[in-house]
Amino acid sequence: MKQEVSKKEVLIGAIVAVFLIAVIPGLNAFTPAGSSLHVSDFNINLWGQYLCLAIVAVSIDLLWGYTGLLSLGQMLFFSLGGYALGMHLMLMIGKLGQYKSDLPDFMVFLGYTKLPAHWEPFAHFGFAAFAVLWVPGVVAFIFGYLAFRSRIRGVYFSILTQALTYAACLLFFRNELTLGGNNGFTDFKTLLGFDLGTPGTQRGLYIASAVALVLVYVLCRWLTLTKFGKVQRAIRDSENRVLFSGYAAANFKLFVFVLAGMIAGLAGALYVPQVGIINPSQMEPAKSLEAIVWVAVGGRASLIGPIIGAIGVNGLKSWASQAFPAYWPIFLGAMFVVVVLFMPRGVVGLPAQIQEAWRRHKRAREAAAEAAAAATQVPKDSQS
Amino acid sequence: MMRPYVQRSLCLVAAMAMTFASLVQADESESSARQSAARAILASESEQAMIVQDMAANPSPILGPIFEAWQRSQVYIYEAPDGARIPFMLMPDGSGSKAVRIDNGEPLVGPNGAPVVVDEATMKPVETFAKLRRAMRSTMDLLALADPAPATRQSAILKLGMKQSPEALPILNARLAREQDKAVKNGILDAIAIINLASPDPKMQIDALNQLKKSNSVPSRELVAKMAADEKLSPKVRAAAASTLKAIDNHLFWVDFFGTMFRGVSLGSVLLVVALGLAITFGLMGVINMAHGEIMVVGGYATYLVQCIFGTGVALAPFGISVNIPGFGFDSNSGIYQSYFLFALPVAFFSAAAVGVLLERGVIQFLYRRPLESLLATWGVSLVMQQLFRLIFGPANAPVYSPAWLLGSFSVGDVIMNYNRVFVIIFAVAIVVGTSLLLAKTPVGLLIRAVMQDRTTAACMGVRTRKVNTLTFAFGSGLAGLAGAFLSQIGNIGPSTGQTYIVDSFMVVVVGGVGNLIGTVISALGIGTLDQILQTGLRNPVIGKVLVLVGIILFLQWKPSGLFATKGRGLEN
Repeated sequence: MKQEVSKKEVLIGAIVAVFLIAVIPGLNAFTPAGSSLHVSDFNINLWGQYLCLAIVAVSIDLLWGYTGLLSLGQMLFFSLGGYALGMHLMLMIGKLGQYKSDLPDFMVFLGYTKLPAHWEPFAHFGFAAFAVLWVPGVVAFIFGYLAFRSRIRGVYFSILTQALTYAACLLFFRNELTLGGNNGFTDFKTLLGFDLGTPGTQRGLYIASAVALVLVYVLCRWLTLTKFGKVQRAIRDSENRVLFSGYAAANFKLFVFVLAGMIAGLAGALYVPQVGIINPSQMEPAKSLEAIVWVAVGGRASLIGPIIGAIGVNGLKSWASQAFPAYWPIFLGAMFVVVVLFMPRGVVGLPAQIQEAWRRHKRAREAAAEAAAAATQVPKDSQS
Repeated sequence: MMRPYVQRSLCLVAAMAMTFASLVQADESESSARQSAARAILASESEQAMIVQDMAANPSPILGPIFEAWQRSQVYIYEAPDGARIPFMLMPDGSGSKAVRIDNGEPLVGPNGAPVVVDEATMKPVETFAKLRRAMRSTMDLLALADPAPATRQSAILKLGMKQSPEALPILNARLAREQDKAVKNGILDAIAIINLASPDPKMQIDALNQLKKSNSVPSRELVAKMAADEKLSPKVRAAAASTLKAIDNHLFWVDFFGTMFRGVSLGSVLLVVALGLAITFGLMGVINMAHGEIMVVGGYATYLVQCIFGTGVALAPFGISVNIPGFGFDSNSGIYQSYFLFALPVAFFSAAAVGVLLERGVIQFLYRRPLESLLATWGVSLVMQQLFRLIFGPANAPVYSPAWLLGSFSVGDVIMNYNRVFVIIFAVAIVVGTSLLLAKTPVGLLIRAVMQDRTTAACMGVRTRKVNTLTFAFGSGLAGLAGAFLSQIGNIGPSTGQTYIVDSFMVVVVGGVGNLIGTVISALGIGTLDQILQTGLRNPVIGKVLVLVGIILFLQWKPSGLFATKGRGLEN
């Protein structure tokens, strides 16, 4: 019964992984700027961001596509990861800030004279890198524990996750939280001693994002192949039967929810140094819904679909929100309605869907032809 | 350098001129007041203050504008060719200003009958001195004591009392003898007591403190607190002060409490009105409509358009096409313009219901069995609608003016009640009663309830469930439209207004428990009150709101399906 990964899949996966991790940055580093093969620094940075968003999309797919949990607050965990690394980056600015103080600029502006105690450990990269995972993990654990324990499911779960990210968004807008208020964190200078402004560092971050994406993909792919993955899908399809079979569905859901939260946190941490800013607007409920769009458009329950969706929709957004700023939201919204109504399996599932429709059409035509033939045969029979 | 100042003072004079115009039929008291004002202006510096003080005996509303003009150097003296000295003031007249005689209110004319033209740059205004200005102010205070409006009288009395000058006592006592209004009478007693607090006689002080204790006089709190802490006063007085302070603080606590409750109920009513449509579409039909907020905004914009049509019309430019909507051009002070809101209500209801029908037929009817997907599809619709609003009405909030009757407030025992908050509560009660009557007492309501309780059985009994679905959704959307009309009166209507309410309204419905209206009512009022209590207690609206959301998540631990769960046999629900 164990599902195997076909050799073809491994081969294609490896080619794509090498292309993302090595070829694209190689083209950026080793080809001259005028060459037709050259990938510009701008594009490396942009693609690095897309890959981070693709990681979030994979985490949403793990939740929604494989476990049936539609979380409308996934960008909260993304932002928490981003904030955790952002705190480290803020401390690394040191005296290079506008106020030439050891404190981050916004604290000087708010009249702080001493670094708040909970900021201090973030001066160590190791701590911050660890916090990128555990902060979203702990928040997801607490919320998930409460929600799954009382069997909050379906749309109620969705609405509550939305309320959670909304509440966090309101909270992060406050200055009292000492996380920069509505301006958030920006003006980062260095990461591990590398200047964030140089193309080399950005290329490094791109490679890190690509590696993270490949690892997350492999992890999720492996997870869905195991027995755990089977229970996951069983919960999606009929949670009550899983319960009756003696599985503690709540624990499975909690594990997936926390894992997805941590993956999103990792994505956020990789995203922030590349985009250069993190602020509470990243937690607005609409952002999480937009991330759902990527998964829905790409095709859920396929792992590769969300990656295609995240890169495709964001690529389209970068272009369209420049070319037709006034019509882009209409287009995005309409695209979403069309996908939900007519393409439940997304872009990835489209060939299969067309094939099925074609087969149905053909069968209907054959049936019609048979019926017509039968109808013309009847008088023949009666003649003879 | 002079100009801006002159301009500003002209504006002030314009405001006064309106008072002026309403007093066209100059009665006797006005003319005698004018005479004495003219006399005061012409008098010598030493006499001026005395004359002004005496004028308190002969009150007339005309003195206000004259004193103001005088203090703002707008009063001049015209030397007539025959040697007479005529005081006059400048009043705005079209683009310039015209000179008006103070002694009779007529325009100032020269010997040939033509209006005298005044050059402000060269003429020297009649000056005022500190002593004179003080006299004018105290005369004005005294005049206010005789103002026909009790509220004005009361605030003037309080102001006089707070100065704690014993000279005001005879005036207040005189007024007390004549005063008819009970509330104002109490105000005078308080004012006298406040003045007596400064008296050197401990007995007077104790009497005064007892009076203030009896009337729970909030304005005197600071003074009483100071007395309670004053080491130099006798212990008896201090004890009385302490007891008065306690009584006032106790009173203040209840005022705060009822004020918070009142604000909580009115906020709850807003939530209720906003969530009621959702209680129908989500609670009864099980459809998660993320575009609910945008349907609400449709109602808000409908109200805006009705307002424009009652006024001068509006020019819109959606997609680069310019659309001019003409208006009736009613005067903004006329009763018919003021009542535009009543006409806007049905328009808001039906336009939102129409959008609801489109949404149900176009998207939702395909997704009744897939609630998560209806959530996503309607979010797509909400994105489209928000952008359409932005393209049609512009990114800024639509300027909807609240009718004048919604401004202002009244107070019940020191608890301030704003008219718009009272309106909110009345509106919520009306809309909830109307909805529940419709559901419980009409044939349509019966059909709606039948289909929502058991679709298959209803269909077997011959109910056309598809039609009822559309109708129910349209009704829920119409209620959202009413909520939008209502929000336009108390808040802003803009392209993203819907987003600010959507999370809250889902919370209200989830906490209330789907499937019934009573749960929605209780949860809306509960959340509203809790929010206000936390806001007042923490003095921080955002933390209060966050705590409310956390509280809701914890509440659902205890009651996962809300306050009033509809009990069913289905396993999945």
